[in-house]
Amino acid sequence: MGKSEGEEWEPKILAFCCNWCSYAGADAAGLERRQVPPTIRVIRVMCSGRIDPAFVLMGLLEGADAVLVTGCHIGDCHYVNANNKTRNRYEFLKEFVDELGLEPERLWLRWVSASEGPLFAEMVREVTEKIKKIGPSPLRREWKK
Amino acid sequence: MSKYYLAWAKDEEIRKKGANGGFVTATLVSALENNFIDAALVVAKKSVYEGIPVLTSDPEVVKECAGSLHGAPINLTKYVVDYAAKKRIGLPTKPCDARGIIEQAKRRQVNLDNIFMIGLNCGGTLHPLRMREMAADFYELDPDSVVKEEIKEGKIFLVSEEEGGEEKEKWIKIDELEQKGYGRRDACKSCVTKIPTSADLACGNWGVPQGEKKTFVEVLTEKGEAILKNAIDSGYVDIEEAPGKGIEMRKKIEAGMQKLATSWKERMDEVSTLSRSGRFEFYVDALKNCIHCGACKEVCPVCACEADSKCLDMNDERDSYAISMYNMLRIFHLMDSCIHCGQCEDVCPVDIPLTLIQRRFSERMQRHLGYIPGMDVKEKPPLYETELRWSAEAE
Ligand SMILES: Cc1cc2nc3c(=O)[nH]c(=O)nc-3n(C[C@H](O)[C@H](O)[C@H](O)COP(=O)(O)OP(=O)(O)OC[C@H]3O[C@@H](n4cnc5c(N)ncnc54)[C@H](O)[C@@H]3O)c2cc1C
Ligand code: FES
Repeated sequence: MGKSEGEEWEPKILAFCCNWCSYAGADAAGLERRQVPPTIRVIRVMCSGRIDPAFVLMGLLEGADAVLVTGCHIGDCHYVNANNKTRNRYEFLKEFVDELGLEPERLWLRWVSASEGPLFAEMVREVTEKIKKIGPSPLRREWKK
Repeated sequence: MSKYYLAWAKDEEIRKKGANGGFVTATLVSALENNFIDAALVVAKKSVYEGIPVLTSDPEVVKECAGSLHGAPINLTKYVVDYAAKKRIGLPTKPCDARGIIEQAKRRQVNLDNIFMIGLNCGGTLHPLRMREMAADFYELDPDSVVKEEIKEGKIFLVSEEEGGEEKEKWIKIDELEQKGYGRRDACKSCVTKIPTSADLACGNWGVPQGEKKTFVEVLTEKGEAILKNAIDSGYVDIEEAPGKGIEMRKKIEAGMQKLATSWKERMDEVSTLSRSGRFEFYVDALKNCIHCGACKEVCPVCACEADSKCLDMNDERDSYAISMYNMLRIFHLMDSCIHCGQCEDVCPVDIPLTLIQRRFSERMQRHLGYIPGMDVKEKPPLYETELRWSAEAE
C-alpha cells in the first residue's frame, strides 16, 4: 500500500471530537506535550450528538481503519442530553459493523473531558495498537483497487 | 380484549365469492353504505398472477374484489398514507400490511383513528414470476391458462381453463414445491407473524369447522368491535360464538406454521455459516450490482422518507466504495424497524437478496433491543429515542 520495504504500516484513524470536551481534551494533550501517535485525523463537531451515523459509515468507506466517536461525559453534554443519543446510535453502529464483517475494534466510543489530555493520548495509542494488530480495513482495501 | 366469532356474509353472492365466509367484503360494503368509512382499499384481480390495489367508495367494486389472491404479494401500507390523513378508510390487512401501517403511524404519516384494519391471517404469498414457472414446470400447465388458485390443507391448487371452457384442477403439496425452491416467497416462508395482532380484526379460515363457509374472526380493538357491530346491525353479517375447539385448532395451526417458519429461516440463511470475512465478502458481492434506482425505498412500508431522503442524498454514483452509501444507510436505517416483508427484494431490478440481508442486520438488532416493530403504536422506533431502555439499566 505505497509504503517502502521495512516501513511499518500506519493505520488511519478518524476521530470525531466534540468542541466542548474531547476536542479540548485533544488540545490539552498537545499543550502538555504528550506523545500522540500521528495516526489520528480529527474532525471537530459542536457536539457528539451532531455525529450522524452516516458520517461514521462514510468515514469507514473513505478508508479509515477505525472510527472514534468521542464527546463529553454523560451528564456533561453542553446540549442537555445529546450524548445520550450518541450512545444510542453507537449501539446501532456496533451491531452494524459486526454484522457487516468488520472487526469490532474498528469502532470506538469514548467520553473525554477537556482536562483529560493524558486520557486522550492514551486512547489514541490504544486504538492505534489494536488496529496495527488487525491490519487495514477490508473496506479500505476494496476502495484502493 | 380478544373475542372469537365465526362470521359470514348474509348476501349469498358475497358469501359465494368470498374466500371463506365473505365476512371481510360484507363488512367493508356495509361500512361504506353506512358512511362508517369514506373509502375502502381492496385488491382487484387482473389474473391469478396480478392483483392491483383499488381505492374506492363504490360498494360494487368492493364486492367484485372478494376472494384471496396468493399471487399478489403487494403491501398496502403506502397506498393508505396520503388518503388516511383526512378521511376514514377500511382495508383488509395481512400481518405485514398491518405492521407497515403501525410503523407509518409511529412516524406520524397516518392517523390510526381513521384506519380500520380488517386483518387477514396469512400463510404467505407467491411471487408471480416464480408461480408462472411453477405452473409450467410442475403442474405442466400453460401459465396463461390458469384462472384460479387456492391454498388449502398444505396444497397449492391451480385451476386451468382448457379449450372449450372446461376446467381442470391440479394440486401439489406446498412442502414438495418448496423443497425445490418454489412455493411461497422467502419472506413469507420465514415469517412468524401469521395472525395480524396489530390490526383491528383478524380474519381467516383457521378454526372454521371443515366444510363450513364461514370466516373465523378475532376482535382485537374497540375499532374492530365498532366496525363489526356496524356490519351486524345493518344486516350484512351474521355471527356466532366460535367453538372452543376451533380456537384451539387455530392456535395449534399458528404454532405449527411458526415452527416451520423458524426452521425455514435457519435453512435459508446462507450467511450464518460464514466467517467474519466471509460475511463481509458476501455483502460486498451481493450489493455490488445495485443501480441505486431507489425502488426498494419507495415500496418499503416502514420508510417514511421523501424523495430527498438521506440514503439517496448522500449517495454519489461517482463514489467507488466497496458498498454504496445508499445501501449502507438503507440497511442501517431499518435495523430497528424492518418487518421482513420482502417488498424490497420483489421490486429489485437486479435481484439482490435483500430479504436475507435486511433480516440479518435487523433481526439481531431487534433481539438486542427487545423490540418488535409494527406491533404497538405506542413504542417509538428505538433509533429515534434519546435513551434506550437497556442503556438506562446498564448504568
Ligand atoms: C395471501 C393470503 C394468504 C392467506 N393465508 C391464510 C392462512 O394461511 N390461514 C388463514 O386462516 N387465512 C388466510 N388468509 C385469509 C383468508 O384467505 C381470507 O382472506 C379470510 O378468511 C377472510 O375471508 P372472507 O371470505 O371473509 O374474505 P373476502 O370477503 O373474500 O375478502 C378478502 C379481501 O382480501 C383482499 N385481498 C385479496 N388478496 C389480497 C392480498 N394479496 N393482499 C391483501 N388483501 C387481499 C380482497 O380484495 C378482499 O377485499 C389469507 C389471505 C391472503 C390474502
Ligand atoms: S457538547 Fe460534548 S457531547 Fe454534546
